[in-house]
This record gives sequence, C-alpha cells and structure tokens, in this order.
Amino acid sequence: MTETSKMVCPDCGVETNRHAEKVEYTDAGADAEGFDPALGGVLEEFHACPDCGRTHARRAE
Amino acid sequence: MSARTDTRPLFIPVVLGTVRQGRMSEHVARFVHAELAKRPGVETELVDIRELKLSNTDEGGGARDVRFTETVARADALVLVVPEYNHGYPGLLKHALDTNLKEYIHKAVGVCGVSAGPFGGTRVIENLLPVLRELGLVTVFWDGNFSSVQKAFDAEGNLTDAAYVRRLDKFFRELVWMAKVLRHGREHVALEGG
Ligand SMILES: Cc1cc2nc3c(=O)[nH]c(=O)nc-3n(C[C@H](O)[C@H](O)[C@H](O)COP(=O)(O)O)c2cc1C
Ligand SMILES: [Zn+2]
Repeated sequence: MTETSKMVCPDCGVETNRHAEKVEYTDAGADAEGFDPALGGVLEEFHACPDCGRTHARRAE
Repeated sequence: MSARTDTRPLFIPVVLGTVRQGRMSEHVARFVHAELAKRPGVETELVDIRELKLSNTDEGGGARDVRFTETVARADALVLVVPEYNHGYPGLLKHALDTNLKEYIHKAVGVCGVSAGPFGGTRVIENLLPVLRELGLVTVFWDGNFSSVQKAFDAEGNLTDAAYVRRLDKFFRELVWMAKVLRHGREHVALEGG
C-alpha cells in the first residue's frame, strides 16, 4: 500500500477523494521527469472534491 | 454528502458529433436533448462540435476549446450522438474528444448511433467503445440506435416514430443510475492505498 499526501480542493478547502490513477500519454514528451518507462507515460492521480464535485489531477506520488 | 441525500441535479450534456452540412444527426441530437431536458433532476445542454474553437494544427490538450473543457468538467455524464461514417466515427468528433482527459475520469457516457442503413449505428458504437474506455469514461449497456434516420424524422425534424421515446427512456434511466453511482464514487470511494 502506498500512502500519498492529502490534497485539498483549492476552491473549497476540503480534503479531496483520490478515486483514480491513469497513465497520461499526451504529456510524455512535455514531462520528461515524470515519464514512467514501465507504463509508457506519466502516471496521474485524479481527485474529486466532495463539496463542489470538481476533479483535480496531479502527477502520482 | 451521502448518495441518499444528494439532491444536486446531474449535468448531462448532449454532444452532436458531426459537422457535416445537412447532417441528420442534428435532428437526433435535438430530440435526445429535448427528451433529456424533461427529466427531473437532470440539467442538459446541446454541444455542437461545429461550434467548438479547436485548433487543427495541434492534438490533445493543445487543441482545446476552453468552454468545451469547462462543460465536460462540470458534467456527470455525456450523451454522444454519433453518425456512422464507413462503419467508424467522424474524425472531428475524435479530435474534439481527445482535447480533454481529467475531465472524463469516472464519468458515465452513453452513445446514440445514427445511420442511413438498418443497423442504427451499432458498428460505430462498437468502434467507439475502446476510445471511450481509454478516455476514462464508463459506458452504459443501453444505446440509442437511430436506423434509416432519413425516415425517422420529417423535413422539419419532427420524430415520425414514437417508439424512440420509450427506447430513450430506458437508455436515460441506465445513464442516470450510472452517473449517480459514479458521482458518489468519485467523491467518496477512495482508490486503495491512500
Ligand atoms: C463519409 C460518410 C460515410 C458513411 N458511411 C455510412 C456507413 O458506413 N453506414 C451507414 O449506415 N451510413 C453511412 N453513411 C450515411 C450516414 O449514416 C447518414 O448520412 C446518416 O444520415 C447519419 O449521418 P449524418 O448525421 O451526417 O446525416 C455515411 C455518410 C458519410 C458522409
Ligand atoms: Zn471543492
């Protein structure tokens, strides 16, 4: 199990829910540092805010 | 907020997926949008890909139309109205869909296929499913199938076959269920490991 740092919704100040991870292929060239050769792209994590419902993404930790 | 007490309306835009002059899919999209707008607890909007300001010298996020991205970000589900072109989907629809990514993750999608032929766009729907899956959307198992579309609407765009109303109702019920479940999941069900 990997523990990741909490994310807070910038609009509501509420802790978000990390509901998905996904490889982003389109950023592979742009984000050379984040490129994961095993996955063939940059692994991103997706969070939703339980208050406003908005999705926030960041590079997975 | 628990799913039981969640009274927020669902936002489900309908995307008209072709720019062709004389497109019959526009009748379908207007009909689908009007039927969806009648449902309590659902807000909708018709998105015409012809109106999007997408770059044609870039792909993916680099080609995006900010308003379209914002609409998808607000959406809980999408309905795609997609004509069958050589058994596939219009290239410009794919171009438009590719401009977003995080805005789609764990949201529901339903497809209405449109064809001149007898199969109601089933081939284009099957061809589109792997793309929708990779975008992070969750497909429902009901579709809209508009066969021989030139006969399904009159010249003014009025429906000539009332059976479509009942079929669409089944499609919407499944889509709304999936949209509610996924909204609850996005907001409250954490991925394992943090
Ligand atoms: C480039 C092109 C390819 C087409 N290929 C098919 C096809 O494979 N099967 C079919 O049933 N109809 C096909 N059609 C007819 C469309 O399904 C028909 O025009 C229908 O009205 C839906 O498309 P529309 O919204 O552009 O009118 C094709 C139309 C075009 C313009
Ligand atoms: Zn928020």
